[in-house]
Amino acid sequence: MELEQIKAIIAMMKENDLSEFSMEEDGLKIRIKRGPEGFQQTVSVPPPAAVPATPAEAAPAQAAAAASDAEIKYITSPMVGTFYRGPSPEAPPYVEVGKQVDEEAVVCIIEAMKVMNEIKAEIRGVITVVLVENAKPVEFGQKLFEVRVK
Amino acid sequence: MFDKILIANRGEIAVRVIRACKELGIRTLAVYSQADADSLHVQLADEAICIGPGPSTESYLKIDRIISAAEVGDVEAIHPGYGFLAENAHFAEVCENCNIKFIGPPSAAIRAMGDKVAARETMRKAGVPIVPGSDGPVDSEADALKVARRIGYPVIIKAAGGGGGCGMRAAHNDPSLVKAFHTARSEAERAFANPAVYIEKLIDSPHHIEFQILADRKGKVVHLGERDCSLQRRYQKLLEESPSPILTSDLRKKMGKAAIKAAESVKYVNAGTVEMLLDATGDFYFIEMNTRIQVEHPVTEEVTGIDIVKEQIRLAAGEELGYDQKNIEFQKAAVECRINAEDPFNNFQPCPGRIDFLYTPGGHGVRVDTHVYSGYVIPPTYDSMIAKLICYGRDRRTAMDRMARALDEFMIRGVNTTIPLHKLILKDPNFRRGRYSTAFIDRLLAATQPLVPAAKAEEQTLKTQAA
Repeated sequence: MELEQIKAIIAMMKENDLSEFSMEEDGLKIRIKRGPEGFQQTVSVPPPAAVPATPAEAAPAQAAAAASDAEIKYITSPMVGTFYRGPSPEAPPYVEVGKQVDEEAVVCIIEAMKVMNEIKAEIRGVITVVLVENAKPVEFGQKLFEVRVK
Repeated sequence: MFDKILIANRGEIAVRVIRACKELGIRTLAVYSQADADSLHVQLADEAICIGPGPSTESYLKIDRIISAAEVGDVEAIHPGYGFLAENAHFAEVCENCNIKFIGPPSAAIRAMGDKVAARETMRKAGVPIVPGSDGPVDSEADALKVARRIGYPVIIKAAGGGGGCGMRAAHNDPSLVKAFHTARSEAERAFANPAVYIEKLIDSPHHIEFQILADRKGKVVHLGERDCSLQRRYQKLLEESPSPILTSDLRKKMGKAAIKAAESVKYVNAGTVEMLLDATGDFYFIEMNTRIQVEHPVTEEVTGIDIVKEQIRLAAGEELGYDQKNIEFQKAAVECRINAEDPFNNFQPCPGRIDFLYTPGGHGVRVDTHVYSGYVIPPTYDSMIAKLICYGRDRRTAMDRMARALDEFMIRGVNTTIPLHKLILKDPNFRRGRYSTAFIDRLLAATQPLVPAAKAEEQTLKTQAA
């Protein structure tokens, strides 16, 4: 899905006063909702491909809720290790974009010295961006997820 | 030879190790705290991994995070530098268990020399002279008084769990002994999590002479000569030189042999330093062994031409020394000044902050080992040493003239440094004659009080000139 295509969809929605658009194609699912505060998008791909939505790829300037009462926070890595989206390669990821989490929710695994550590969100909100690819190394303090808190 | 090494340290020593690795074609992985994100070692390394927030206990001392970084980075060896985990036998063991080579001695040797009381006993058995003192740790006030009276005042109380000047207190009589005993114990507890202390005779105005040794895994040990580190303040070294201005070649031979014996007695491998005290009558005594590379290693490098960090890496990779004691040449005289971001005329108050302007001296026979650069912000979180200035030449006179000249050129604006104090030392006629001992610095500082305004004015002029 190219940025130009997404822009074209948004333009078409504006033109035709559509509030929601969703499409599935070649393993890519996209849903764009248009609300009073602007466009929100979720772009997701099935777990095996494990390509996270990053702001550069998925969001034109006006997308991703910019409501005045919303606040962006990050879940950062408390250790050095390897980041895993789910408890095992076959299992689904703990969270996807759009998932509501609370403080106790497990959001990912970081493996360090053969120990699989469950990482908790420690904040309450909605996951807006997954910032690290599955099985990639992470360092202390590295941003793992962008979360919209209220 | 290793393909990739993790440097488990920061500051100038991390830069030093990275430089050696680069020259050997070894890839480097730096670890850093969030306070060190802009540090030079992070920029020079091929890769870097953040291991925690500023405080060392949350970053550079976090064994699990460092090992994680080593695994993530797929390194074969870890160089621990000095300080931090360099003399942590447990860390060396963890590396051994994780199949990562610890660039240093075996954990058993670290343990043997890390326990200062046990080390004394090992030396005694090996026939290496030790300072008269207690036969083991001193556990009570009553024991302390007994030992002190037996060996005779003055005495010094030292921590059994570690060196570096922590938990050390002198006592000249019974009342001060009791006070010193308790103070030393609490300091030792805080520094090494071990309150055990022992007592030695306090040698009057000794010279602190240490011998650099290298040992390979086949058991061959050589020494690279001595460093005279007598210029100290509160047991912290300010300046080191080699050769020592008071050693005769006969004494050098004797002490060198003793240093080698000390290393052999604990089956030492890699680089290490045997510290000894030399008294006014020419008697020398073992005090401790440092089982790591030391801050002042460049002094020995410039005298012998041997790259000690590269030797550490080679020896850790399993290579043999490849040369004998007779092949080691002492070609130069060298001196090092430790430049700290401290105000030497205001009780050495640390001065962290931004370095607005930096000019490092150069020219023939001048070496600067530093991690700072113009615009660098010295964080308050770590020790205050920001640079080492090493000067060398064909003899002591040349090295010292060169050091005085280099200190005059060295400009660090934005923070106070100990450069003005080093200038005073180099101007001192007794120092120039090689006549000084561990009591020198306190006497110099006491005597320079009236000179302070002059020295400060001189510094101001330099600061304006640099503008």
